Amino acid sequence: MIDLRNLSRRGFLNMGAAAGASLLLPKSGLITPAHAQTPLAAVAEENAVIAFGHTGPVTDEGWTWSHDQGMKAVQEAFPKLKTLFVESIPYSADATRTFRQFVSEGANMVFATSNYGDFLYDVAKRSPDVAFYECDGRNPLENLSTYYLAHWYPTYVTGVAAGLMSKSGKLGYVASFPVPSVFSGTNAFLMGARSVNPNATMQTIVINSWFDPQAATQAGTALIDNGADLLFGIMDEAGYLQVAEQRGAKAVMWNTDIRRYGPKAYVSSIAIDFKKFYVDQVRLRLEGKWTPSQTILPMGGGIDRDAWGETVPTEVAKQADAVRDKILGGWSPFEGEIKDTKGNVKVAAGHRMTEEELYNWDWSIEGVSGLQA
Amino acid sequence: MDMIAGLIQTSILAGGVLALAALGETLSERAGVVNLGVEGLMALGAITGIAVVVATPHPMLGFVLALAVGFLVGCVFALGTVVVKANQVLCGLALTLMGTGMAATIGRAYSGMPAPATFAPIAIPYLSDIPLLGRAIFTQNILVYLIYIVLPVVLHYIMFRTRHGLNMRAVGENPAAADAAGISVQSIRFWYVAAGSALAAGAGAYLTLAFVPSWSEGVVAGRGWIAVSLVIFAGYRPLNAVLAALLFGLITSLGFVGQARNWPIAAPILSMLPYLGTIALIIVPVLAWQRMRRVMAAPAALGEPYFRDMR
Repeated sequence: MIDLRNLSRRGFLNMGAAAGASLLLPKSGLITPAHAQTPLAAVAEENAVIAFGHTGPVTDEGWTWSHDQGMKAVQEAFPKLKTLFVESIPYSADATRTFRQFVSEGANMVFATSNYGDFLYDVAKRSPDVAFYECDGRNPLENLSTYYLAHWYPTYVTGVAAGLMSKSGKLGYVASFPVPSVFSGTNAFLMGARSVNPNATMQTIVINSWFDPQAATQAGTALIDNGADLLFGIMDEAGYLQVAEQRGAKAVMWNTDIRRYGPKAYVSSIAIDFKKFYVDQVRLRLEGKWTPSQTILPMGGGIDRDAWGETVPTEVAKQADAVRDKILGGWSPFEGEIKDTKGNVKVAAGHRMTEEELYNWDWSIEGVSGLQA
Repeated sequence: MDMIAGLIQTSILAGGVLALAALGETLSERAGVVNLGVEGLMALGAITGIAVVVATPHPMLGFVLALAVGFLVGCVFALGTVVVKANQVLCGLALTLMGTGMAATIGRAYSGMPAPATFAPIAIPYLSDIPLLGRAIFTQNILVYLIYIVLPVVLHYIMFRTRHGLNMRAVGENPAAADAAGISVQSIRFWYVAAGSALAAGAGAYLTLAFVPSWSEGVVAGRGWIAVSLVIFAGYRPLNAVLAALLFGLITSLGFVGQARNWPIAAPILSMLPYLGTIALIIVPVLAWQRMRRVMAAPAALGEPYFRDMR
C-alpha cells in the first residue's frame, strides 16, 4: 500500500488547494495533517459496531455491491461484531443525519463509501471516539481516514486495449461529475489509447449521477450516434454496456465483472476489491491500534483490470498486459510532457506525476472534450 | 446524418413513456376525473415489469401484468373519486405517494439489476429500408408501434367517432345533462379512470422493459407529472398527446446530443431541458392559443365529483 501519512507539507498544501478548487468538495482553509497520535482504545469484538454508508443500492453489482462484499468479509472474519448499513444516501443534509444516526447507535467505525465531504466531516469532528473513513475523501481529521484506489493504472492498461480495438479512434465516456476521479479516468484512458493510436480522441457526457441507468443509457446512445465505437465511464451499473452490446460497439466498465449483460461488447472492467482493506482496518480498531491513515490501494492490491472479454483478440490482450507488467514493475505512464486541452504544458517533460497529483487531477489532457472543471 | 437518425430514434423511444401515460391521463380527464396518481402508477408498473421478467423471460407478460396492476389500483382510485366522490386532487397525490413508496420498497431487491429480457427492436420489412429515417422510425420495439400508431388511432376513433365516445365526453363536460340523457355517469367514469390507470402503469413497464432497461429507485423521475402537463398542452386529444410526447422525447434526447456534439452550453443547463420544456409546455398554450381557448379547453366538469341530488 502507498502510505500517504508521510507526505511533505507541500504535498498536503497541494491536496488542500485541489480540494478547494473542485466544485463538489468542501472548502476548508485548514487541513490538519494526520500525525502520530495515541491510537483509539481497543473494542471487544462482541461490543463492536461497524457501520457502512453507501451512495447506491447494494444490489447494483458495481461500486456499492463491492463495498458490501467488503462488509460481508468483515462479518466473516469477526462473526461476533454487529454491522449496520444504509443504502442510497443522498449528498445532502440527509447524509449528516444518517452518519449521526450511526454514531448514536453506538458505531465504533463508520465507513462512508463515497465522498460525502462536509456532511461526514461535521459528524466526525463531533465524535472523536469513532473512527471514520471517507472513500475518495480529501479532508482528513484525527479520527477521519481517507482511502481510495490507484484506478488510473488499470485504466491506462484498458486504454491501451481500447486504442487497439477502436476502429474510428473515437472513444466515448459517460461521466458522473467533473471530479478528480473522472479527470484521472478520462485522461489515463486516452493516454493509454494514444500510446498505440496517436489520433484517438475522447468525448465525454456528464450525467450528474453515479447511479442513473436511464441517463447512462441515453448518454451511451448519444456517444455511439456521434461516432464513438468504444465506451468507457464511471458508472455503478451496466447501462451503457447494454447499449454497446445492442449497437455492436465495445465497452470498458467499472467495479465488477458484469460481462453477462453484454458478452460481445465487454472488453474489461476496472475491478475493485475492498475485502482485505476493510478486514485489516477493522482488526486495527478492535486491537486498539487504530490511527488515521490516507491510503491509496495500488494496482494488484484492491484494484486491477478484470479478465479480458471474449471478443478481445489475444494480441491486444498480450500487448495491454505487457504494459500492465511494466507498471507493476515500477514504470509510470504519467510522465511529461502532458498538455491540457488548450495546449498549455501542465506536466513538464521529465516530470513524473506523483500519486497525489494523480489523485487530485483536475484538468483534461489534449483530446478529451466535454469536461470542464 | 447518423446523428439525426439516432436522435429521432431515441426521441421516439424516450417519448413512448410519456405518450402512453398521457394517453391514459387523457382517457381519465375526458371523463371528468383528474388523476394525479400517474407518477405512482408508473412506479408500480415499472417494478411489476421488472419483477416479472426476472421471474420469467417474457417481457410481454410483464407488460400485461403491469397493465393489470394499474387497472386494479385504478379501480381503488376510482372507488375513492367516483363512487365515494372524495377530492380528486388529494386522492391522486395519495396514490402517487403510495405508488412510489411501495415500488421503492418492493424494488430494493431489484435495484440496479438489468432486465434479463427486454422488448427487442423489430424492423418492419421494406419501410425500415427507406434511406435516412427508415431505420430510425421503423426499427423499434413492438410497444412503440402500439403506442404511437395503434392506440392513439383507436382511442381517437372511439372518442370522436362513436356514440359511446360522445357519451363519455358528455360525462366530462356536463355530467348532469349526460345523466338526464340516460348515460350512467358513475360507470363511465369508473371504467375510464381504471383503464387510464392501466395505461399509466403500462408506461412504467415500458420504462423498465424497453427504455432503460433496469429498475432503480426514482426511475420514473417525474415523468408522471410531465405526462399530466402534456395532456393539457395537447388539448385533451389522443393524437396531439402522442405528438407532444414525441416533441418532449426530442427535448430530452437533445440534452445528451448537445453534450456529445460539444455545444457551447453548460451540461447542467442541458440536463435542465426536460423541465424547462415542461414549464414552456404549460405556458405556451395559455399565451399562444388565446383564440383556440374553446377548442383546447379542459372538459367543463373536470375535477368535479358528480352528485346527482345536488344539481
